[in-house]
This record gives sequence, structure tokens and C-alpha cells, in this order.
Amino acid sequence: MSAVSFSSWNGKIIDNRTGKAARVDAGVPTMLGDKSFTALMGWNGLVVSGAANIPSLALGYLREARKLSCGECSVCSIGIDRIAALLEGLIAGRGKKQDVAEIERVARGVMELSKCNFGRASAVTPVLDAVRYYKDDFLALATGKKGTTSPYKTAVTAPCIEACPARLDIPGYIELIRNNKFDESLDLIRKRCILPGVIGRACTHPCEEACIRNGIDQTLAIRLLKRAAADNDLASGGGALKKPTAERPEKVAIVGAGPAGLAAAYHLRRMGYQVTIFEAFPKGGGMAAVGIPDYRLPKNILEHETRLIRELGADIQYNRKITKLDMDELTAQGFKAVFLGVGAHEGTRMGCKGEDAGYEGFVDGAVFLRDLALGKPVEPKGKVVIVGGGNVAMDCARSCLRLGFKDVEILYRRTRKEMPARAEEIDEALEEGVKIRYLVAPVSVLADGNRVKGLECIRMKLGEPDSSGRRRPVPVKGSEFKVKADMVIPAIGQKPELGFAGDVLQVTGWGTIEVNPETLRTNLEGVFAGGDCVSGPATLIEALDAGNRVARSIDAYLQGRTFEPEMSFKGIDVKAQRALGHVDACPQEKVSLLEPKERVKSFAEVEAPYSDATAMKEANRCLRCYRLVVWE
Amino acid sequence: MLNVTIDGKKLEAKDGETILQVCQANHVRIPTLCFHKDLTPFGACRLCVVEVKTDGKWQLASSCDTLVRNKMEVRTNTDRVKESRKLAAELLCYKYPSTKAVRDMAESLGVEVPEGKADGSDCILCGLCTRTCHEIVGVDALKFLDRGLGRSVSEPRIEYIADACIGCGSCAYVCPTGFVKMEASGDRRVIWDKSFKMTACDKCGRYFAPEEQLKWISRKTGVPMSKLTVCTSCR
Repeated sequence: MSAVSFSSWNGKIIDNRTGKAARVDAGVPTMLGDKSFTALMGWNGLVVSGAANIPSLALGYLREARKLSCGECSVCSIGIDRIAALLEGLIAGRGKKQDVAEIERVARGVMELSKCNFGRASAVTPVLDAVRYYKDDFLALATGKKGTTSPYKTAVTAPCIEACPARLDIPGYIELIRNNKFDESLDLIRKRCILPGVIGRACTHPCEEACIRNGIDQTLAIRLLKRAAADNDLASGGGALKKPTAERPEKVAIVGAGPAGLAAAYHLRRMGYQVTIFEAFPKGGGMAAVGIPDYRLPKNILEHETRLIRELGADIQYNRKITKLDMDELTAQGFKAVFLGVGAHEGTRMGCKGEDAGYEGFVDGAVFLRDLALGKPVEPKGKVVIVGGGNVAMDCARSCLRLGFKDVEILYRRTRKEMPARAEEIDEALEEGVKIRYLVAPVSVLADGNRVKGLECIRMKLGEPDSSGRRRPVPVKGSEFKVKADMVIPAIGQKPELGFAGDVLQVTGWGTIEVNPETLRTNLEGVFAGGDCVSGPATLIEALDAGNRVARSIDAYLQGRTFEPEMSFKGIDVKAQRALGHVDACPQEKVSLLEPKERVKSFAEVEAPYSDATAMKEANRCLRCYRLVVWE
Repeated sequence: MLNVTIDGKKLEAKDGETILQVCQANHVRIPTLCFHKDLTPFGACRLCVVEVKTDGKWQLASSCDTLVRNKMEVRTNTDRVKESRKLAAELLCYKYPSTKAVRDMAESLGVEVPEGKADGSDCILCGLCTRTCHEIVGVDALKFLDRGLGRSVSEPRIEYIADACIGCGSCAYVCPTGFVKMEASGDRRVIWDKSFKMTACDKCGRYFAPEEQLKWISRKTGVPMSKLTVCTSCR
């Protein structure tokens, strides 16, 4: 990296042009992913590290900002136009000295007066810095000397986009909802999330943690807005997906119709490839189908969204479990590439005595939820104990209540604070009557003959933080005690079943498939992998991202092109901005939840949707925090 | 009841009122182009800007969509407010140099409006028509078409959805610049380039509403069409 000669990043001025070298803050971007630059203009300032044409870059910035300015408030879009016209005049040699001062005045106005956070924080900020700190470069143009323009590169993100594993254009689809364009909003969502109704219900929504509104009142209800776009479409009959413009002859095999496989299939079909999915279960959706109970995600939503992908021409073959990865056979069938998205469906062992004895009433959490989803009856007798603190444990516990179990208890070895389950999942479980015992771990499974009768447990205390940053649970010597149970469900994690790949596929120490993290290629020629079988059990949206990316990677592979990863903002704090101005606090629009007493009577969906009008009202809270950078 | 201070005067306000509403109730004049008392505020024109004390600092805020809070301090007539309103009007004038409503507004705020004809009627994207169509009429025939990441809308504009329009003309009444035109001749009304057949009043014979509007009212209210054949004056 070359030394920074000037920076106004975060509003902090570092000026090394006079020869005196000042220290550069860790927060100042000096690279964009793996790309270096001579000058960069971003929402948060100007960074210069070499000889650069600043007026030209400022004009480039304004042109890109103009594309992001929605045009709803007059100040932002017209202000950008006005400044750009003055700058164009200066560069063309038609400008006057006063024009430089005028650019400054209008830019200040745009930052103070704009309606949304794009106008206030991003639209002109670095341009104002440029005319203030590189004034001579601009004044030189006012002497009648013509300037030049240089090419520039550009990228856009937002705090919510950056937090989303699949990088959905969140401000974009929210804006379309605000403007009553639910169908266009759904089109935009589908570019990166082909299961909008599913994700709109079951996403862990890291985007909401990143929302700038958290610092003012409360996050936008991003997940619920996505659901509103999907529900609006379904209410009007559920339109078909756009067909590919041209067909391609190459065949691609996908193993697993989970979120990763479905996303890959959708994008490959849109590009025109011939796609076959082999699915072991009788239905598509992977963990969304056999891992998330109906009260969180009604099955008709997933079925609808899977059917659309099938109708797009993806040949989904259900009940086709691949027991051996036979590349010769797949090649003979004409497949040019294979994507493995087999998920992680095998329960992790607890490491306690008796768990492999095959006792009746001892069922792994993932298996329990799968059996339930596939219609296997469960007799609700006595007490059920679930071990674990993740979403699967919550899903098992809440399902048990709905099945009619009167006594449902979760054992977790740490405290509520360390629980990996979503906070609202835990709250809803407690409301419904699930009991949770913290700082307890099982030691052995107790049985009466071949039938489970309980667990022997030990109390834990929290020790030093481990690699996950959570405090490690440590057993308290001599604190063993017994917990009675008629059914025990361990739900402490899953791993992929990779027996089908024999020993030809390279795997990691964690028992997941080893891939190139950018291209998702495995060690086998033409074989790609992604989703839970690569990451270990993760979220639906991460699996969708893998599917989105692998489609681009497979396309590049089949067309003999180099795969270009997306521009990375890694290392740049995209939440940081200088001034926010006055933003009126207004609380999030609420949706109603079924009464806990009603919830446990059936598997009916707990959460009510937004009406279109409420969704539009909620969408109106979005501050549009697009972050723009241009560089040369 | 909330206590607020506007320009140094202590005033009372109701919970849920905006700064603009309190100002209007107390005869504090604030310019607006995109505001209508019966519609959700939109904050598009930025002319109603005032200063609000936020965390000890005076910050600019649009008064139409900012709710008053207890003990809020507001200033509506400082130089900063005046200059900001002037800039907002100047920029509107820059984009719509011949629009009369814009020129008049700019002049009233002390902007030196350049010479030129003042007979134009542009769409200044104030959103009054889209809000009226959605909130009052409820047919959603007018929608904002704006830009953003990955959308190739060259210029923001109002999209007219002819199939949804019932020809009621509310958008024409509410348009501040005269951009939305409605013309009547004989039994036809033309609005947004769509021609509507008008219904004549059974009693006075005057053409009083487009057929499509009456059908819409009938569908929405359950009143049969046969009861909607008399105009409001004869009813």
C-alpha cells in the first residue's frame, strides 16, 4: 500500500502534503478488498494516496450519486445536478471562480437539508471535502484552462446490505414497498433471495442489527417487509418466475434441493442451463422443509416457492438419495458440472454415556423435526427433555408443546446470554410454557431396559471465553443429579453426512467439504459445494448466498471465464458516518402474535403479517443509508 | 398536552401533532409546496424546514413530518432557516425555471428569480397526487417511480396506471402546479390522456361523474349503481 497523502475520512483531516507525515488512523481505508487506489471518494470522505485528478473524480462521484438519489426530495437530486453542472462547466473551461464557492454552498445545503440519510451522509460529502481541501485544483480550472476527465470505478453498499450474507439491496426493496410497488420489490428481492416468503419468516436477520435506526429508535422490520412483498404476491395468485432469455445446452447436476441447491438451480436456469436436482427427501427446501416447524414457516409458502423454481424448468427429482458420488456416471449422463448442497442433517454427539445405545425415546433433534415434517406420528407421553440452546432446540421444544407434551424442559450448559437461538425464539418458547434450565450438561442417558427414563446431569459454571468468544462452561465437581424424562432430544448441532463421497472428496477437520471460499470449487474437477455441508450448520440466508455465488462460479467455469468475486468492503466500517442531522424517532410498526394459550393448541403460524398499508408505513421509516465509493 | 417553545414563545400542543400543525394553529407562517392537511406528510419540498434543538444542537428538520415532543424547542425565523428555505426554493427554480407556482414561491422567499416566462407547469414530484390517489381515493393509479441501486429509471417521475384510474380528477385538483390536466367536453372527460365516459344526473342532466368512478363507489360502498344516478347538488 502506498502512503496516504490526504484523508478526510470520518471527518478527521490527515494532511501529509506539506511534507510532515501524520499518522493514519486504522479506520481510513487504504485498500478496497484486494484493490489499491490513487484516490478514493466515499460517503465518509476523501482519501488520496497518489497523483490524482480530484475534480474529475468528484464529477464521477456526483454522477454515481445521482443514480442513487431517489428524486423524491428536491434538494438532494437537484442539488447534485446543480453541483455537477458547475463542475462540468469548470472542467470544460467555462467556469468562474465564484462557481467553486457556489459548489461549497450547495453541497452544504444538500447535507443539511436532504430528507434521507443518503442525501445527508453520502450524496456530496466527499465533494465538499474536495473543494475545501483541494481548492487550488478547482480554482485552476476557473482560469480558462480546460481540465480532463479520467475513468473511475465505483461500488455501493449500505450497513444493512453489508450485514446480509446474500447482500440483498435492502434499501432498494424497502423503497419500492414504500412506493406501493410490491411486485417490483419482490423482483428485486429475488435477484438474491429466491425464497422470499421463507426468508421473510425464518431469517435470523443480521441486517436488522446493522440498521442505523437502532441508534435512534428501533431497527426497520426488514424481515417482515420482505415477507410483505412475498405475501402480497401470493395474495394476488403468485406470479411465475421470469423465463430465461435463451437456452444453453450444458447440463448441471445439483445434489440437494435445500436453499443452496434451489438458489443455484434458479440462477442457472435463468442463465439458460439445464438443471437436475437430486433430492433425498420427498419434498424440497432442505432444512427449511424438515427443520423449521409449521408455526414458524407454513409449508405452503415453501411449497409455492419451490414449485416456481420447478416450473422455471429445474427438474427436481424427489426421493433420489445419491448414495455414491460417481463422476463417471454423471459425466456419462451428460452433466458438465455438479453442485453439492447436501446440508448438515446428522446430529452431533453429546459425548455422554448411553447416547449410542439406541434407546427408545432417545431421538436426535434434527431427526425429530424431520420425522415431524414428514408426518411421522409422535405420542405425547410424560416429560420431554431437550438438550441444547440453538434454534433447533427451541423448535423441538415448541413443537413438543404443540404435540401435546405437558412438561417440556430445555437443558443448556451456559446461560441465556450465550444462547445461540434468536432472542424472539427464546421469548416465545418461554411464553408458551417451555422451561429452560441453564448451566446444566448431560453426563449419561438413563434407561429402564430399552426405554429412556432420564438423564444424569452435572451443573456447570462459566469459565474463560473460548474461540467463539462465549464463556466456556466448566463442570462443577460432585454436582451430579438426575432429571426424569420419558423422551430425550439432543439438539446440540449437526454435521454433514458425507459417506456418499467416499474418500475422493477433500474434507476439513470439522467434517465439512473443503472448497475454495471464492469459487466454491472442491478438489474434484467440475464439482462445487456450498451451504451447510461446507459451512457446518448455518442460516438459510447463508445457504442462499452460496447458491447465488456458485451459479455465477459454475457459469464462469462452463464458459471458460475467470470468476470475478464481488467487490468487498471488508475492513471499512460502513456504519460510521459523520452527522445524521435530526431524525424524528418513530417506533417500528408491530405485528400481532397469536396468544401463547392459542399457539400451543396447533401448528398454526404464530406471527401475523403486515397489511400492505402497514408495510408501506414501516417502509417509510427507512433512512436509505446507501454508501457510495468511487476510486481511480 | 405537550409544552413546546416556538421562536421563544411557550405554546401548548397535542400529542401526535407535527411542528407544522402547531405552527399553523398559532399563526406562525411556514412555506410549503408538498403539504396537504388531509394527507400523510411527505417531506419532499424541504421548504417547511425549521431548526429543532437536538442533543443541545440546533438541527434542521422538515416541520411537516416531525412530531412535537414535550419541551421541544423550535426556531422558524433564524437566518439559517431563511437561507435553507431559499436554497430549497432556488434549487426548485433551477430545475423548473418556468413553473409559475415554483417561481412565485421562490420570489416570496426572497430568491432572485431569473428573468424568463412564468407560464410553465411541470411535475415537481411533490407527491400530492400519489398520496391522494392512495390515501383518499384508494385506487393506486399513480405511483412514484424513483431511482436507486440497480434500477434504470433515468429520471424520477410519476407513473400513471391507466387500468386502475377511475377518472375522479382528485389528482388534478390537488396538483400545485397545474401539471395534471383535466379537460371536459360533452360526455367525455380526459385526464392523464385517458378518456372517460361521464354520467349525466337524472334530475338536472349535468354530467357529474365518470361511469368508472361511480362503479368504483358502488363496489366499495355496496350502494347499487341505480342509487348513484343523481348528482350531489340534486340529492
